Amino acid sequence: MIGSAPEDPHRLLAGLTRDRVSLELSTLDICFLAALHLQAERDGLASLDEELLLNLFEQVSDLVDPSLENRQVRATHAIQRLRSQRMLARVDATGIISAGEYSLTRLGMLIVQSFLEQEQLTRESLSLLMGAVTSSLAQIRARAERISDPSEWQTAIVGPLRVTVGDLVAGIERRQRGLDMQQEEVRKQISTLLQVEWFNVIEGCQTLLETMAKTLRELNEVLLRDSSHIQTLLQEIQHAAVTAGATEAEQAAQRVTDHVARMEAWGRSRQQGWSNYYQYVHRFLRDVVRLDPDRAISQRLVEQIRSWPERPFAFVVAADSCIRLLRPMKAMEYRPPVSRPRGEWEQDPAIVAADESPLQLESLVLAALKHRPRTLATLTTEIIAQLSDSERYTAIGRIAAVVARVRAPLLDRERPWVPVSPSFIIEDWMLERPDPQ
Amino acid sequence: MSSRFAALEDVIRDPLFPDVDLALRRGRHIDREDGDSYAFLSDAQTHLEPLYRRFGCELVMQSDGYFYLLPSGDHLSRRHLSPGEMLVGQTLALQSLDPTTVQTGGVVTRDQLLARLGSLVSDRDLARALEPRRKRFDDERKVHEIIRNRVAQAIRQLAALGFIDLVDQDHLRLRAPLFRFADPVRTRQDLNAALERLIASGHAVDMQGEEFTGDDDEPSESADIDAGDDADEDEDDA
Repeated sequence: MIGSAPEDPHRLLAGLTRDRVSLELSTLDICFLAALHLQAERDGLASLDEELLLNLFEQVSDLVDPSLENRQVRATHAIQRLRSQRMLARVDATGIISAGEYSLTRLGMLIVQSFLEQEQLTRESLSLLMGAVTSSLAQIRARAERISDPSEWQTAIVGPLRVTVGDLVAGIERRQRGLDMQQEEVRKQISTLLQVEWFNVIEGCQTLLETMAKTLRELNEVLLRDSSHIQTLLQEIQHAAVTAGATEAEQAAQRVTDHVARMEAWGRSRQQGWSNYYQYVHRFLRDVVRLDPDRAISQRLVEQIRSWPERPFAFVVAADSCIRLLRPMKAMEYRPPVSRPRGEWEQDPAIVAADESPLQLESLVLAALKHRPRTLATLTTEIIAQLSDSERYTAIGRIAAVVARVRAPLLDRERPWVPVSPSFIIEDWMLERPDPQ
Repeated sequence: MSSRFAALEDVIRDPLFPDVDLALRRGRHIDREDGDSYAFLSDAQTHLEPLYRRFGCELVMQSDGYFYLLPSGDHLSRRHLSPGEMLVGQTLALQSLDPTTVQTGGVVTRDQLLARLGSLVSDRDLARALEPRRKRFDDERKVHEIIRNRVAQAIRQLAALGFIDLVDQDHLRLRAPLFRFADPVRTRQDLNAALERLIASGHAVDMQGEEFTGDDDEPSESADIDAGDDADEDEDDA
């Protein structure tokens, strides 16, 4: 239904699979269904008794397959088949104790209608249906403006939108599909006429084209005229629903709006499609049929193609190459080439004197320690006095390193910074305990 | 003289002129379905004919409702259609004359095209015409591959020249310029005489004795096909 919320398609399909839904109908079954429908329509019957069903099956069998035997049994099976496929329902509720009363289900009716009734959209039917939609929506809008109780939205707005308006819009869409089928039929008809009659059917083809074009033009006019009014009404209903916080009513109105928009799009696309087809067929009639009334060109062209490999020729066409667009000029940046300075990289080894100062320093430290200096500062002062100014800075660290290796310093919490020369002070270590005396 | 353009200067100043001019110079056929471009050419025809004549070209307008440029001198480059384009073009022209295509509004599928082509020319003759340099056509699979590739290539080229529209991967829409392929059989004249007339007027060239090298084809694809063929030839020889 148009106004109801769409259910999850996966769940719906899973349900159909689970129920193993299938339809199997022979020509005899469909004719039997159609006969039931026509009989009920003609006599205004709400249900059909079993005897009538059997009689109708007999008549249909005579028509479809006169050689059919055991008709009574076959009729029973046909009724059972239609019932199991939910196309025929027993409505008397008396079980097997008496002959039953049957009626066609909705599915059965739809199948019969789809074969018997080609519902098509005409200017009259579309105007009528669009008018009914407009009228229903105007009533719904008036009700929406008066609603005071929130619970009324369901019955006064959502229900009518789903059922009344939904059915009307679905009716228009159904007729649209009918018209689509008619268009397809007209195309097929034109093609067949041309194949059979060729030059003699030009007038007939043009009439068919004109009729369909006129129908589509009129339908599109009605759709454009009425759908804007319908959209306005739907917007007002939607606005009222939003103001009242009625979400379901708002969604129902939105769904109808979508369907109306779809109808409009259908009208536009079909008119455009038919316009293109109309032009093509007119061109075909003018350029092909009129110029080649006896279809000789086609035959000669076939011969031309067949003989082409032996007598090849080719048409000449212009083939000017594309204009080459040069890239915009860009100043090159100067990039110095990668190089290395000239010169002799390989040099002969030279003899240089070994630096023995660390060894000399160590021997000086060891010799000084023999005199049992009390502090590192005393020892350092004594040694660096023997060195030049440039050597003193590096020597101070090396002296400390040698002392730490050969003699464990006595650590105090406070290690004072003591000058060892006019230029340097060091953190002092205690090397010997002071004499208690 | 048309009322829309008083002088050639007005034609050249029209915003449509550059696109239409470039399209014509690239060999495109412009028909009624091109809308504004066709209307522009119709209105400017009297001014453009002398202009293109100075470039050694003829602006041809056919009664079927399309324009194209036919170079006759050396000022503008020209080429002749490849065997694939000619065979596919003629077959599509035949289909455009067929009333069964009226039902679909002039839309045909590639399969229909291949089926029609196959019914007119045998696969081997077709492959030989499409690949004249190839010597052997024993492998049926290879023959089908040649036909498929060359026909696909021809379809693309014909679409670029305005003979057809590519609707989607499988469907082609036939356009009025395809009737050019039926030019030799328009009159009740003998086919050879009609061809001589077209060749003499510069509308067509005789390809008899000419080995088509495929130089006019799309470089990448033809290179691929040729490379594959050479490899196969080598295998065959071995």
